Amino acid sequence: MSEPMSVYVYAITKAEHPLDLDDVTGVGEEPAELHTVSDGGLSAVVSETPEDLSVARRDLEAHHEVQEQLWADGAILPLSFGFVAPDEDAVRALLEERAEAFSQRLDELTGCAEFNVKGVQDEDTLLRAILADSEQARELNESIREGGGSYEDRLALGELVAGEVQTRQSALAEEVLTALRPFALAEKVSPPSQQYFVSVSFLVEDERFEEFTRAGGELDARLGEDAELRLRGPLPPYSFV
Amino acid sequence: MTVVPQGEGGAVAARPGGGSGNLYDVLELVLDRGLVIDAFARVSLVGIEILKVDARVVVASVDTYLRFAEACNRLDLESGRKAPSQLTDIVGDATEAGSRGKSKGALTGAVQAVTESLQKGRGEDEDRESGREKQHVRAERGTSRRSSKDRSSKDREDREE
Repeated sequence: MSEPMSVYVYAITKAEHPLDLDDVTGVGEEPAELHTVSDGGLSAVVSETPEDLSVARRDLEAHHEVQEQLWADGAILPLSFGFVAPDEDAVRALLEERAEAFSQRLDELTGCAEFNVKGVQDEDTLLRAILADSEQARELNESIREGGGSYEDRLALGELVAGEVQTRQSALAEEVLTALRPFALAEKVSPPSQQYFVSVSFLVEDERFEEFTRAGGELDARLGEDAELRLRGPLPPYSFV
Repeated sequence: MTVVPQGEGGAVAARPGGGSGNLYDVLELVLDRGLVIDAFARVSLVGIEILKVDARVVVASVDTYLRFAEACNRLDLESGRKAPSQLTDIVGDATEAGSRGKSKGALTGAVQAVTESLQKGRGEDEDRESGREKQHVRAERGTSRRSSKDRSSKDREDREE
């Protein structure tokens, strides 16, 4: 799918990064060997682009593992999956052209990591709570269950419940953000989705990892059975490049 | 809470290969975040589009209203939260081919489609995968809900075609 000379790019680092690549290999069925291209005081970690590059576990994992390995030794700008430069000269040109901006960002990210937090709520539990609290919803639901409800009744019940779901999940999301925000330098909130009532990444300084993780645990305990928090990290700063 | 320290949890977590169990959780970050270089070509990734489409909210729509109404009608109000509907759980398991879906809690069908393509990409990881499932036992309680979500997301796709 690409010219043999094209290069797959994993990450950008400062030139003084140790760039220990002994234990990782690149994307592709026969994993490509990693090497570096340097210019403007920066290095890019690259490999030859394999013929069969694809959005499959094998390549996503290789991409991520290279970034984790590099990140363990110093600040990096992790590239999003799948970027291919026409050749090494194009990579050098990019490093030179954007040297200042990349260097500045790498300085800012030194000593920090990303923590991703996702909140999941059991829908049945939530719906039971809404029905328990709203007499109107309960009455509509019962009349529909008994076969007496019209299409309009079903819409009315659904609208009422959907509004309640949104209100309650927004409140929960705000609670999570408020509880964890004090321990972070920055945050990036994903748009609301059906899967998660909150999905947010925080940029956290090394010395606050423990506090942050503890606060996450306490928050999860406080939310009890109604919701579950999934906290991942420390990770390379994907959301803060 | 599922807290999974990475990179500082000893040598295992930071070494290559130790990352396989982490991949699912960082998928969205690797695909949708990270540095984007407009000057370079990007490999065409259908999965990225699917992830983005799935992330939208569909609260203010007739489809959502009807789905919530149906979900309320289905609730076993008498048994309370301690007794999830066993029938729904069985249906959920059967449609998800064994343990595969169990760690995924509240995921909808579209995200699963991407995950399936990931799993096809490296068959020998099956065993490590099931090791990961065990870490996420708490996520299983999402099973009964997921079956209805899969249905609704499938319905949505059908309508959009």
